Amino acid sequence: MHAVPLAVPLLLALALALQVLWHSLQSPPVARADALPPAPSATTIRAASFGESIAAAQLMLLQLQAFDNQPGISIPFADLDYGRVMGWLNTALALDPRSGYPLMMASQLYGQVKDTTKQRLMCEFVHTRFIEAPDLRWRWLAHCAIMAKHRLQDQALALRYATDITLHAGAASSWARQMRIFILEDMGEIGSAKVLLGGLLATGEVTDPSELNFLTERLMAMESLEN
Amino acid sequence: MHITTIGKYTALEALRTRVPATALLTLALLVCASLFVRELAVAEAARFQIAFYAAAARLCAVFLTSVYVLASISREFNDKGLEVVLALDVPRSHYICGKLAGFMLAAVLIAVLVSLPLWVLAPTAAALMWTASLVIELALVAALSLFCVVTFSQLLPAAGFVAAFYLLARSIDAMRLMSAHPLIGAEAPSQQVMNALIETLGYVLPALDRWTATAWLVDAVPAPAALGGIALQGAIYLALLTSAALFDFHRRGL
Repeated sequence: MHAVPLAVPLLLALALALQVLWHSLQSPPVARADALPPAPSATTIRAASFGESIAAAQLMLLQLQAFDNQPGISIPFADLDYGRVMGWLNTALALDPRSGYPLMMASQLYGQVKDTTKQRLMCEFVHTRFIEAPDLRWRWLAHCAIMAKHRLQDQALALRYATDITLHAGAASSWARQMRIFILEDMGEIGSAKVLLGGLLATGEVTDPSELNFLTERLMAMESLEN
Repeated sequence: MHITTIGKYTALEALRTRVPATALLTLALLVCASLFVRELAVAEAARFQIAFYAAAARLCAVFLTSVYVLASISREFNDKGLEVVLALDVPRSHYICGKLAGFMLAAVLIAVLVSLPLWVLAPTAAALMWTASLVIELALVAALSLFCVVTFSQLLPAAGFVAAFYLLARSIDAMRLMSAHPLIGAEAPSQQVMNALIETLGYVLPALDRWTATAWLVDAVPAPAALGGIALQGAIYLALLTSAALFDFHRRGL
């Protein structure tokens, strides 16, 4: 190995120090909530990513996240144009239909703002995309049903979502498929709830003993309420 | 004296190995492709054409410069041309500085050639800023490629490192934004380590996404001070890469 002249490591150290100094003098990058552009179409992204549509969808979603979760934005989600947000989520879902990430973002992130119009917009988005693949996407609609019941105080909307899960998502967990019954009960529709619960028990769909016991107790409680 | 001679012959080599012809061919292909894009657009056709051409030309120019530098030095290593030059009692630092000067001349030529259509399509001030920024960017890419090929000796790892470095430098600001405030697990040690790592990378990488921006051509020309900042950052980073290349080249046994 040859000896390195002293000037070279000195120059290297000086240049490195200058680079670090330069970086510390620069203002940090800041995202602006109004900077979200319209979403590109899925066809464009598919062509631009040379067929790597899943990776492109994931990068799109991470980029979308970067717009609303940055320092300097006090009310990040509420400031965004929700029409454009839906465009981005739609494109990402079109590129990677098996991913639940766009629906998770819609129901659990963008649906958490205090603006009820925006909450409803996100729930309708989830509902529309749920119908296309119910068995794959039921959990996000279940979250929206709970949101409609407790946050939006809209029992009818909650019932519509819960009913669609029961009717379309055969692979959904039993708690989600039974949600309709308890919403009906809360709405005072004891008769309808009783019929549905009785039907559920009669079909033998529920096999877990603890769950069976719980549901039977609920049915008996409803009957005693009616009497 | 040695530096000037080596630089002159390196630039001459670039001319004789059809670098300008390749740049012109690239220019012609990109102009055709941008005309196609212009025809497809139903509105803002000129904006579409300029944006497409500028983004594609920038990437092609970087690719061309980097591959040229890597191939030229690799060939010199393989043909034992380096040994011949150093046998003439040329100091190693002169060899590196001369080569870099020659490559930078070639980079200027490539930058000016690929920018020509923008002088017609975009406002003059914007085209001037964009071209100047591309010259600095290509000079930096030439220095980076020289450092990599001197350090790794082999073409493949050197090209891989240059590509990774360039992509990282173009996206480091976006990565800093994403890692600074994650949606979940902000307090998790893994997240903090990742954030610290990305912030450290930010210190040692030039933020190339702020350079040679297409927005300058289609939206608003930045203040000339922006170009001054890019030139200063370019000079610092050029000194860093050159000294790193010199350090490795001096340690190298021939």
